[in-house]
Amino acid sequence: MESTASNEVVRDVQQNGLCTGCGACVNLCPYFRNHRGKTIRLFECDRTWGRCYAYCPRTEVNLTNLRKKLFQADDLTMELGAFKGLYMTQAGDETVRNAAQHGGTVTALMKLALAEGIIDSAVVAGDNDQQVACPEQVDGPDQVGSYSKSKFILPPTVGKLNEALKGKAEKIGVVAVPCQAQAMAKMRVNPGPSDAGNMSKLKLVVGLFCGWAFDGSKLRELLGKELGNTAITGMDIPPSRHKCMEVSTENGMVCLPMHEIQTCVADGCGYCIDMTCEFSDISVGAARSPEGWDVDKEWNQVIVRSALGQTLMDLARDRGILNFKEVPSGNLEKLQNASMKKKRSCLAYLAEKSGREDDFIFLSSEDPLIRRIRGLE
Amino acid sequence: MTTLNTGRKGEKMLLMGNEAIARGALEAGVNVVTGYPGTPSSEIIDRLSKADRERNLYVEWSVNEKVATEVAAAGSFAGLRSMAVMKMMGVNVASDFLMHLVMTGTRGGLVLVSAEDPGAISSLTEGESRYYSKFLEFPLLEPGGFQEAKDMTKWAFELSEKINNIVMLRTVTRISHGSGNVVLGELPETSPRAHFEFNGTILDEQTGPILTVPGPFAVNLHARQQNKLQAAANLFEDCPFNTYEGPENPELLIITSSVCHLYCIEAVELVDAPDRVGILKLGTTWPLPAKFLKKHMQRTERILIIEEVLPFLEENIQVLACQLGAEFAAKKFHGKGDGTMDKVGELNPTLVAGALSRVLDLAMETVSVDYSENINKQAVDNAPDRMLTFCPGCPHRASFWSIKRVLELNNQQGFVCGDIGCYGMGMLPCGFETVKTVHSMGSGTGLASGFGKLGQFGMDQKVLSVCGDSTFFHTVMPALANAIHHRADITLVVLDNSGTAMTGFQPHPGLTIKASGTELPALDIPSICRAMGAKVQVVNPFDVENAEKVLLKTIEDPDGVKVVVMRQICALSPEKKSKKQFEIQVDENVCIGEECGCNRLCTRVFKCPGLVWDGEKKTSKIDAVLCVGCGVCHSICPSGAIQRKEIA
Ligand SMILES: Cc1cc2nc3c(=O)[nH]c(=O)nc-3n(C[C@H](O)[C@H](O)[C@H](O)COP(=O)(O)OP(=O)(O)OC[C@H]3O[C@@H](n4cnc5c(N)ncnc54)[C@H](O)[C@@H]3O)c2cc1C
Ligand code: SF4
Ligand code: SF4
Ligand code: SF4
Ligand code: SF4
Repeated sequence: MESTASNEVVRDVQQNGLCTGCGACVNLCPYFRNHRGKTIRLFECDRTWGRCYAYCPRTEVNLTNLRKKLFQADDLTMELGAFKGLYMTQAGDETVRNAAQHGGTVTALMKLALAEGIIDSAVVAGDNDQQVACPEQVDGPDQVGSYSKSKFILPPTVGKLNEALKGKAEKIGVVAVPCQAQAMAKMRVNPGPSDAGNMSKLKLVVGLFCGWAFDGSKLRELLGKELGNTAITGMDIPPSRHKCMEVSTENGMVCLPMHEIQTCVADGCGYCIDMTCEFSDISVGAARSPEGWDVDKEWNQVIVRSALGQTLMDLARDRGILNFKEVPSGNLEKLQNASMKKKRSCLAYLAEKSGREDDFIFLSSEDPLIRRIRGLE
Repeated sequence: MTTLNTGRKGEKMLLMGNEAIARGALEAGVNVVTGYPGTPSSEIIDRLSKADRERNLYVEWSVNEKVATEVAAAGSFAGLRSMAVMKMMGVNVASDFLMHLVMTGTRGGLVLVSAEDPGAISSLTEGESRYYSKFLEFPLLEPGGFQEAKDMTKWAFELSEKINNIVMLRTVTRISHGSGNVVLGELPETSPRAHFEFNGTILDEQTGPILTVPGPFAVNLHARQQNKLQAAANLFEDCPFNTYEGPENPELLIITSSVCHLYCIEAVELVDAPDRVGILKLGTTWPLPAKFLKKHMQRTERILIIEEVLPFLEENIQVLACQLGAEFAAKKFHGKGDGTMDKVGELNPTLVAGALSRVLDLAMETVSVDYSENINKQAVDNAPDRMLTFCPGCPHRASFWSIKRVLELNNQQGFVCGDIGCYGMGMLPCGFETVKTVHSMGSGTGLASGFGKLGQFGMDQKVLSVCGDSTFFHTVMPALANAIHHRADITLVVLDNSGTAMTGFQPHPGLTIKASGTELPALDIPSICRAMGAKVQVVNPFDVENAEKVLLKTIEDPDGVKVVVMRQICALSPEKKSKKQFEIQVDENVCIGEECGCNRLCTRVFKCPGLVWDGEKKTSKIDAVLCVGCGVCHSICPSGAIQRKEIA
């Protein structure tokens, strides 16, 4: 294969099992498309430089540089990226909470951002009964609620952003998992000439914590085997001691054993260095507390990272959009440890793939952050 | 103006070989003419279809060659002179019926015209059909020129009636598509009355039922058939189409047939050896006229056989020589057997002259190396740098565009089984290299039917087949029935361009016109497929977005046979030609050309010849002469640079 931008994406990312389907290479041009969660190149492109390569979260990247360019230097931490504070919140509105994955914080924040004109358009994730996630662009706060709940097969969200950037919206907010947020960070810091003028339209990134996502075709096969045609209304993975995935269906809750579920994890997720969605303004995950899962599943843990994130959080508090409760002591440390665990295992998998202990394929071994994670600095 | 069906006896006309054959049939008073289009045969039916009312003919483009032969045979059984016309591959299709027909024999003169294509100029193989005459035991005639093409056709009907069996007339591209002066003969007044007589005994060829029956009866019929062949051989002994020209006792005797006769005459002149070489031209190449050949072979010691493509004559003559005795067997034979001639490809005068110079050890004046190198260089330099591709505005390009995209999106290494037809070019970049198998007509769907059952052995690739609308009726229907019955997981894409485009828009059962242009009921492909049990969708390939959506959903439906009819009239069809739907323009201020975001999708990938790349301006533009205004490029341009305006 000639070494062109898109060939490198196909060969070094997709064929190498690193692609997450984030969609950053999609909708830039006629060549890359995403179908049922898989990103595919339709025709060869012989350009040597290209945005597909430049934006992909699995091509060469220096995380320290990205962090420095996007956040305040004194907020940066090795474990969690830029950090202004950790909160425990839930949506004040019960209907938002009931339709949400956990506490509904993400939905509530996006509604607020739209209502307040911080953004005029939002990219969120929808899905259909065939377990195919598809990103959607919405323009009004009332529409956000119908896209609540986590989609464990990744939608090509960044591809939707690429489309939105060409459209009418002036201030766009995106809900993203970490690989998608990392792609958007690369876009913001180093946009292609044709995007430079538009990139400032990307105003807000609300991140989701993410352990891993599913490979669509593997999960669909498993669910088909276990559940047949039963319609699925939601999924979640409660804290690890439950050792199962809860699938809500039209006929009630079904628990699928973890060892079966693990065979469906997307290959690309093993090579992800970020659990808490560090390249977002504000990021949201499940809550953990001594009160137990039945209470926690109604709450979220939230990391505020940027000035805009802080503004949004303060506004939510002032308007009573979110309920707050105290973060149990020790939660920050637990989060840091979990995050570091993902970082170390990512480096170990990459070294295993490259066959060399200091070759992390797309992550630079000279990157000070990587050196610190490895304990070299 | 003199036309084929008005030209009077004694008039001289410049005729194409195929027209000469058509005229010969008219002079024979033919009544029933059938055929299936295929280069180089198609003009014969085409010309006769224009004479059908004046000359009281029934002319049809049949659904395939087997049916064409059957329809013509029915004419013969009812006492009419009849003719079936096809290209050589068609004889393979007809052969099943032919094997039976030669046993039962015929009544009205019945001629099978096989137009062959040595060198495979417009065919996928150069396979020949002469061998059928020996294997199925019926007479074979090969005209060696244009006059003879006419005269021999007429004679073939008479021969058929003398022996009561079918006669094959074999022509080749250079006769069929070459032209020469032909002196016309009389056009007879015919007043035929068709009637099928079956009240006689089963053994009475003229009045009994016409049957093949197993057992001793079949053996009987077989013996009768061989007697007919012997009768033909006897007639061939003093047939005017077998000629000799040259010295009384030539040093070398050339035996040849068909267009090679002309090459031989020229070659002998080229090597300037008219007093050393004699040319025996056979018009009747099976069965061989043994006495005639013996007479000429005994006057020489060396024999060179010149024919296209396989050594059919050569081997039969060698067998004859052995039968004639040791003296003949000991003669020196040159030809394909000893490597003097190739067993593949077309011949020409130079090749024959080369052979003569080697055999006779003569110096031949060859062109200088410089000259031939220069010719080749000129040819390469002056020809525009163009790939074999679909025409501008061809619906197949749009169809394959969608097929390619859905196969990629589906991401299961799917592929397309194709066959002959313009759409066979789906294997090339113009079809985005989606077609991965190409064989005989209809075989794409047969292969797909097989591939579609291999899931049991782990095959998870998506299987598509493509066929044209004409091919659908020709041989796809049985394959489709097979696939549906066996629940093969395949998608058949019918590329319905409303005509047999590759060979010149001959009608077929899906259209309301017959060969002569009158109205006939059309068969609706989607309804047929639905009735057969397939799920059917009809889309317009020019509506790229919808076509892609429907195709993708269809191929991902794992349940049985799906059919997508992609319907759009061929850009060259008479209805559409020179009628643009859209005025197309590229806005060079909007076109982003090679930039990231397009990289010349239209001129680098889609490649309609109507679009050209302007290397200086770095934008694409429309070639107003070539663009037919289909508007598809407008739909694929990512930047909206290709603008279209509907032409009222
Ligand atoms: C694949 C995946 C893995 C996760 N893993 C963890 C984990 O290990 N630990 C943890 O604490 N939390 C994890 N989360 C986050 C968690 O599931 C909740 O999304 C989060 O707690 C926010 O809850 P909420 O009630 O505020 O969300 P909601 O109010 O329901 O809103 C969720 C929002 O996210 C959008 N969205 C859903 N799925 C996606 C997606 N795949 N990509 C982009 N946008 C999406 C929706 O459109 C909606 O706007 C994961 C989420 C996903 C999608
Ligand atoms: S993003 Fe640019 S370089 Fe990459 S495939 Fe598309 S046009 Fe080519
Ligand atoms: S990781 Fe994202 S940007 Fe990279 S190839 Fe996959 S879908 Fe494209
Ligand atoms: S597809 Fe459109 S943008 Fe691309 S080169 Fe052609 S006209 Fe220009
Ligand atoms: S409109 Fe476009 S695709 Fe159609 S013939 Fe013209 S250049 Fe070709």
